[in-house]
Amino acid sequence: MTLVTIWLTIARKEFADALRSRMIWGIVVIIAVMTSLSAGISLLVPDVEGGAEMAIGGASQFAGLLVPIMALIAAYLAIAGERESGSLKVILGLPPSRGEVLLGKFLGRSGVVAIGLALGFVVSGVVTAVLYGGLPVGAFIGTTVLTVLLGVSFVGIAIGISAVTATRARAMTLAITAYLGLTLLWDLAPNAVHLLVTGQMPGGVVPAWFLLLQGLSPTGAYNALVQWLLLGGGTAVEARIGGPAPSYLDPAVFLGILLAWAAVPLLVGYLRFRRADLS
Amino acid sequence: METLSRPTSTTGESAETRAIAIQTTGLTKRYGKDVLAVDDLDLTVYEGEIFGFLGPNGAGKSTTIDVIMDYVRPTDGSATVLGYDAQDETREIHERVGILPDGYGLYDRLTGRKHLEYAIALKQSDDTVDDLLGRVGLDAAAADRVVGGYSKGMMQRLALAIALVGDPDLLILDEPSSGLDPNGVRLVREIARDHADRGKTVFFSSHILSQVEAVCDRVAILNRGRLVAIDSIDGLRDALGTGSTVTLTVDAVPNSLTLEELAGVSDVAVTGRTIRVRVDEATAKVDVIDRIRDDGAAILDVTIEESSLEDLFSAYTGDAPPRVDASEVGR
Repeated sequence: MTLVTIWLTIARKEFADALRSRMIWGIVVIIAVMTSLSAGISLLVPDVEGGAEMAIGGASQFAGLLVPIMALIAAYLAIAGERESGSLKVILGLPPSRGEVLLGKFLGRSGVVAIGLALGFVVSGVVTAVLYGGLPVGAFIGTTVLTVLLGVSFVGIAIGISAVTATRARAMTLAITAYLGLTLLWDLAPNAVHLLVTGQMPGGVVPAWFLLLQGLSPTGAYNALVQWLLLGGGTAVEARIGGPAPSYLDPAVFLGILLAWAAVPLLVGYLRFRRADLS
Repeated sequence: METLSRPTSTTGESAETRAIAIQTTGLTKRYGKDVLAVDDLDLTVYEGEIFGFLGPNGAGKSTTIDVIMDYVRPTDGSATVLGYDAQDETREIHERVGILPDGYGLYDRLTGRKHLEYAIALKQSDDTVDDLLGRVGLDAAAADRVVGGYSKGMMQRLALAIALVGDPDLLILDEPSSGLDPNGVRLVREIARDHADRGKTVFFSSHILSQVEAVCDRVAILNRGRLVAIDSIDGLRDALGTGSTVTLTVDAVPNSLTLEELAGVSDVAVTGRTIRVRVDEATAKVDVIDRIRDDGAAILDVTIEESSLEDLFSAYTGDAPPRVDASEVGR
């Protein structure tokens, strides 16, 4: 059997499992409801310059908090759960290598998260279009793609966690730590550094490196990319730092960061899992 | 031991003439500093034989199999399976081996049928699910239910069917009879025998000796991570000298009882009109009866008890409490 078909077979099974467990529908419903609500709320706030772009921006803010936790839940047990239950011994007793199992699981779970997010966004897109009487299709599709990328990054992180832990409990601890650290605590880090360097909290205009620090986390990179998409190129960045943007604030950098957050944990997980004793 | 239709192994046969299914060389597995699960194990299993791997719980049987299957990496030494290195040529091995692992799990939400379809796809074999179900005695209705509702015995049958996917050259069964009723235990033996009859190798690990005695050509006994014996069951019996006990009831015990002079007699005990004689050699039994008659007694009744494998087993493994195997602690 060729390498390709083995991991495809595993990915397909992972995907079918997620359909069976209704996990994918949970993602669709939560994303659809929450992003539709946040799009609608923009209408209720007085004196805010409304518009469908703002609504999409509001939805992306919500997605930035929700997607990581959904992706982590969808994938953190992928390997650790099977290791604890012993089904990993059955699979690894068959031809698949550990690397193929890891890759198949990453692809299968990524597919689940990606399709769940895309369907959820389609619903909120319809809601937004109805509420605002139109939808900027390019910005909407772009935001959906970026949100899917954010989800895939966290699936990579979750699979990496799952590969280095032997029990469900350890995997859960690490997944919660990753969520708190990468989405909630990371926002504080640039402020703390700013305080240390300049002696005061960041104001309306911030140094360029401050934006880079913010954008180093997967959620930070996602937010930077969505802003760039919705607020029109680099003008928002220039306004924020009060001058021309350095090359390290290019969107390609943030895209690279987002992808690296999928790849690096996967790689670290693979290197540890490859040599691990599974008993 | 039952008569087997295929040639059974003889210890005298030269290694060069027989292909080797499993070979471990100086295999050692240490967990942490304190637990030595397998200790310098040299083991050779030939193709075509049913090999029994015996030992009390925690003796290191599962750890040895874990290394053979590359679930764990050895601390020292090496293992080859069907000529492939267990650590470097895992794919080649796993394409040719079927395993019922110790401490395995199945997917609660999948049906038995889905499990088999998945295994067939991953092994790229042309088995049909129904054939496999038939071989392990699982009916089609059960196969269409999810495994979450299976009994231990049904799970064991399904896991056995997964092991049989692709008609493996080597079938490794780690405690295959646990959770099975007597019918299931017999089924495992039949599968092992059937597999060996077709020229394939079966590696059968168990802590229950009677299961191994009935099917295995040769056995190895493992204790505290070390190989303490490797031979045919008969060979082990002879080597240990734990033969049989002949119990005779006579009309009157002769005054001049000369049984102890007989070759092969190791112990004589007289209680009332009953004489109990321990013999180490099978031929000595008839000699005992002849000698008692010659001594002038009439024999009213004779019973002969073969020493059980359990005796044999405890003779090798002693009464020492089994050391806890790290692989079992982890669960």
